[in-house]
Amino acid sequence: MTNNNDLPEKVRRSWLMASASQVDKAVAAPQSNVDVVLLDLVEFVAEKDKPTAREGLADTVRQIKESGVDVFAQVDSELLYADLHACVCPELTGVVIAHLESVAQVEEADALISQLEDQRGIPPSALEIVVALDTAQANQDAFEIARASPRITGLTLGRAELVMDLRPEPSGEIHLMQYLMQKLITVAGAVGVPAYGAWWREPDRGLLATPENTLAAALRGRAIGFKGSFCVLENQVTPLNQGFTPTTQEVAEAGKLLDAFQSAVAGGAASIRQGDRIIDSGAALQAQSLIDRAAACEAHDKAKVDALAGRPVPAP
Amino acid sequence: MAEHTAVHRSGLTMPVVTPRFIDNAWRRGCDFINMDLEDSVPQNLKGYARTLIKDAIANVTKGGAEAFTRINHDLVLADLEGIVWPGLAKVNYPKAEYAEEIQTLDTIISRLERERGIRPGTVEIGANIETSVGVANAYDIAAASPRVREFGGAGGYDMSRDLGMEMFVGFDQFVYGKGEVELAARALGLEPHTAPFTANTTGSVGDPDRAFREAEAARKCGFRVGGGLHPNVVEPQTKGFTPTQEEVDEAHQILERYRELEVSGETWADIDGEIVDRYEAARARKLIDWSELCAQRDQEKAEAVARVERLGE
Repeated sequence: MTNNNDLPEKVRRSWLMASASQVDKAVAAPQSNVDVVLLDLVEFVAEKDKPTAREGLADTVRQIKESGVDVFAQVDSELLYADLHACVCPELTGVVIAHLESVAQVEEADALISQLEDQRGIPPSALEIVVALDTAQANQDAFEIARASPRITGLTLGRAELVMDLRPEPSGEIHLMQYLMQKLITVAGAVGVPAYGAWWREPDRGLLATPENTLAAALRGRAIGFKGSFCVLENQVTPLNQGFTPTTQEVAEAGKLLDAFQSAVAGGAASIRQGDRIIDSGAALQAQSLIDRAAACEAHDKAKVDALAGRPVPAP
Repeated sequence: MAEHTAVHRSGLTMPVVTPRFIDNAWRRGCDFINMDLEDSVPQNLKGYARTLIKDAIANVTKGGAEAFTRINHDLVLADLEGIVWPGLAKVNYPKAEYAEEIQTLDTIISRLERERGIRPGTVEIGANIETSVGVANAYDIAAASPRVREFGGAGGYDMSRDLGMEMFVGFDQFVYGKGEVELAARALGLEPHTAPFTANTTGSVGDPDRAFREAEAARKCGFRVGGGLHPNVVEPQTKGFTPTQEEVDEAHQILERYRELEVSGETWADIDGEIVDRYEAARARKLIDWSELCAQRDQEKAEAVARVERLGE
């Protein structure tokens, strides 16, 4: 099954989690220049506050959406009915399903969303699902889960290191995380959706880190194939946007590489030497995708500025 | 899934055919003794070796250790017939590759438990992953029998030989296999024992400082199972896998702070750079429980040793 992979890749570098029970903070979240606001019903809402948090959720979604950013709601795999009823509305981009354990839960969510789309006048299949593979069982069944619904447009480990209680090795790396990241990125590639996450390491903990460490985690994350990451603090947004955007220097180098390759091809060669490197069609394609990604990031950033300034945003 | 409560911090694997090892095993302070029928027993002694287990069980356990036996991959029926006697806690099965192998072991052990008056389900199976086929089938192997309660492997000499790898390279050449095995264990709620990487470039098995560092690092990553080949590593492993008093005190403090947090209605707090939330609280509870189990185990062993000494061995 393909997962909407004929669509252009969305620029979703930073996902700021905002507690659904702190409406003012959530509504102010787009001011942080974030790409996606993730209204959370799972991690940062106390059990007893959940009914109240669900009550005004659709209104909060609408208010955030006015700023032009995508809005996702993070829902609990075990509270799908209540959580989805609370958040599904035309302004919602999609949901992140956390604490996932099985394919059946994805199918249940998909069916419920279809029903709610129909009841609430939303075009069918409009809402996206991003699955957070934060339990051991979900990671074990990652490939099956990733193919469980055509709505799935992204995979993440979410807060796996906390949910699975993985802690750092003496080296500072979080044990098992490298394996889990590789597996996630491979599965995401196999189903054609982006993987969200960053290479957090000690002393960072559970999406909490200083701006400097967030930037380092984002840069390492982009290097291994992540396209963006969740975060918890507003001051992490800019480092994530920066870390997941190709630098001007990288773009310039990619441009030079591409020019050299194209003139070689025009001259009848299949590859060209550039310093110690051999540039062939694979390297050229990679350079092209970096340039495309940088252009997409730039266009996205401009659209965000326009939206925040209240200027009309051209349709993508 | 039942919470695993065995305490297997330290243990020695020794050839059952060497009397001076077996006779002194109870003095070593181990949580378990693994009597070997496999690699450390010469081919011409395989048949004889298994006849020694029945009496050796009482011998090695008198200091409070549990008795395990490692059997031969290709001599399953004969080995099991020879070793499954009251007092045996675990059968270690090397080079596990298919779920069917574990099911066969389970069937034979179940019969022997019935025939020999052992409570059904007593004997654990250690399904050790030491080959690439084993890694490929890790989840099915771990799920093949409820007797598999601890699960690990995917490193060591056999694995590196099977994969054509070098053994002491100063980095972790087993990341993928160990990841598969640990994830399978965690997904099934088993106790994982594929420890994180700590460099051992010489292959030394008797370095107490290294053993301590390794055990401590493994425990910090959530591992609780040890085992080795040299008496020097027993005490460092026991110590390294046991929470310190300081850690226990800190855990109580985290729980206290978490109770305050719950009352406040917040889901997390940053108190002087320490995060307090439900994940930290769960971890603190786990640490306290583990520390109590370790203390219990240490007392059992101390009482057993005192009993032997009182009776003049």
